[in-house]
Amino acid sequence: MFYLTAITLGLALGALCLGIFISLRIFNFPDITADGSYTLGGVITAVGIAAGWSLAEVFLLAVLGGMLAGTATGLIHTRMKLNSLLSGILVMTGLYSINLAILGRSNIALPVDGSNIFNWLVPFQSEVWNEFITLLVVFLLMLTFLSWLLKTDFGLSMRAAGNNSNMARGFGINSDAVKVIGLAIANGFIAISGFLVVQLQGFADINMGVGIVILGLGAVIIGESLMNILNVKSMTIRIAGVVLGSIVFRLIISLVLSMGVDPKWIKLLTALVVLIIVGLPGLIPNVNKRIKLE
Amino acid sequence: MYGLLKVMFTISISVFFFSCGEKENRSDQKVIGFLDAVEDATLALAADGFKEALEERGLSEEEGNLRIISRNAQGDMSLLVQSLQYFTSTGVDLIAANSTISTITAVQRSRGIPICMMVAPEPHMAGLTNSEGQSPDLLFGVYETLDYIDTSLAMILDWVPDVQRVGLIYNQAETQSLNALERVRETGAQIGLEIIALPVTNSSETQLVSRALIDRKIDVFFALPDNIIFSSFEVVLQNCNRAGVPIFTSEAGLVARGAVAAFGADFYQWGYQAGILAADYFENEGRDFPGLERVKNRSRVYNPESAERFSLSVAKGYQKLEL
Repeated sequence: MFYLTAITLGLALGALCLGIFISLRIFNFPDITADGSYTLGGVITAVGIAAGWSLAEVFLLAVLGGMLAGTATGLIHTRMKLNSLLSGILVMTGLYSINLAILGRSNIALPVDGSNIFNWLVPFQSEVWNEFITLLVVFLLMLTFLSWLLKTDFGLSMRAAGNNSNMARGFGINSDAVKVIGLAIANGFIAISGFLVVQLQGFADINMGVGIVILGLGAVIIGESLMNILNVKSMTIRIAGVVLGSIVFRLIISLVLSMGVDPKWIKLLTALVVLIIVGLPGLIPNVNKRIKLE
Repeated sequence: MYGLLKVMFTISISVFFFSCGEKENRSDQKVIGFLDAVEDATLALAADGFKEALEERGLSEEEGNLRIISRNAQGDMSLLVQSLQYFTSTGVDLIAANSTISTITAVQRSRGIPICMMVAPEPHMAGLTNSEGQSPDLLFGVYETLDYIDTSLAMILDWVPDVQRVGLIYNQAETQSLNALERVRETGAQIGLEIIALPVTNSSETQLVSRALIDRKIDVFFALPDNIIFSSFEVVLQNCNRAGVPIFTSEAGLVARGAVAAFGADFYQWGYQAGILAADYFENEGRDFPGLERVKNRSRVYNPESAERFSLSVAKGYQKLEL
């Protein structure tokens, strides 16, 4: 059961990983904004639910908030020509105050009888299974949307602009505009993650986004390594692999948590297990050869 | 399609692999999940007190009738949630929550397991009461009100009678800190102290912010016990010592670390009191549920070295802290 709760959390954070995948892998843009837009999504959700708004309204506002944050980062980067890391850091830093202002205090516990996405789909007795099923449905919806988006003309121009913006411009793509819209979409996804996690854990905290970018980057890369080991080429499955990475990351943390080690070693152990999964296949000559041959 | 099959296969293998290794607990052994949100020396004192109290009541790991599983999220919210999930799904008998955010996390998703809180404010200040103002059913433990602030501020007058400007930093990201600040402002206005407060959000900012306060000519520094002060107290201490500004606080642990004097809860005693309640809970299981109590033990302590450094004469009724 414990590992199922970890998978659940991994799925909830999967939206964040999809967002980071878009910015990092499609635009080659290490987007630090995530720290702020994830919290923003969560904060809007908590305040909205506490105020008794419907989930649809809360969801739309959260996504809109995330998209605005992404647009800000995109505009600062493309219009003012600021370095990508710095643009993200500036927006993230500014968002801290905005989040604090929306939240009004440092943390809000969701009202027990308030609306919650996890009260909708309840086929099982066990809460944990219900949460899992709900998140699985959300994940499939997001996967369908994203793989459709990347195959549209707009999606193709996004991929072209990320790959080589000069070439894309040669084909008549406004790569700056495409980048801004892409970052907005990425941060919309990240805000969805905040929306889900706050309802899963039952509270929002101003510090919930601290370090979340690193976790997301880690998960994206774990997912990609797994996909490389399995030698998967399909775009849709590779995107699913990103969420798989997030789940595997959570499972690793669960494993370390249940090993009963002194808490101070938890982070080192987590890093080591991740290193083994991501790094070991590279050390085995046979695996390398097999990947090349195939 | 082949790729998808491979992915499914990997997931099922790993789920199988991960689901091995759940530990069985002996039925006569009580299991407590101890949930910490941050690494902190002062909060660790509460954990020590908690364990000590249980041991005095005959529950300890040596006796074999108690197992305490400690998990510390080290400031990472998703790790905090996962640590709680570990407790709820392995089925501990009681969750001990140290600090406000641990308590909130536990209360929201304890899935029927009782929670013993410590080092947290009253449930209504942490936003944990329902619309009728009732605390959660499964919550018991020891809380602190803001009443200590009045005495802690008035205490400064015992030591530095001509004090006018009191400087402090507060953590914007901690409800407890903001509530305390509000109370400090009210009390300060009543007893005629000018309060100069600057916000911080991260312990890396303490250096700059504490210097800015000293530049504004404060007479004394009042250390509000929040997570940022706990983690970066030495920075404040160094700056204040150089500028000749004595530090007063409301927590004995900070006096041991160099503040002049304190009136307030002793975190070790706070944890101890919570530990007694936890022992009560195990003894009366099913019959009587312990309630919420205010911290009983507040003490007046001073640090002789720091008092001497600022040549302050020791005020009446203060206990020397053994260093």
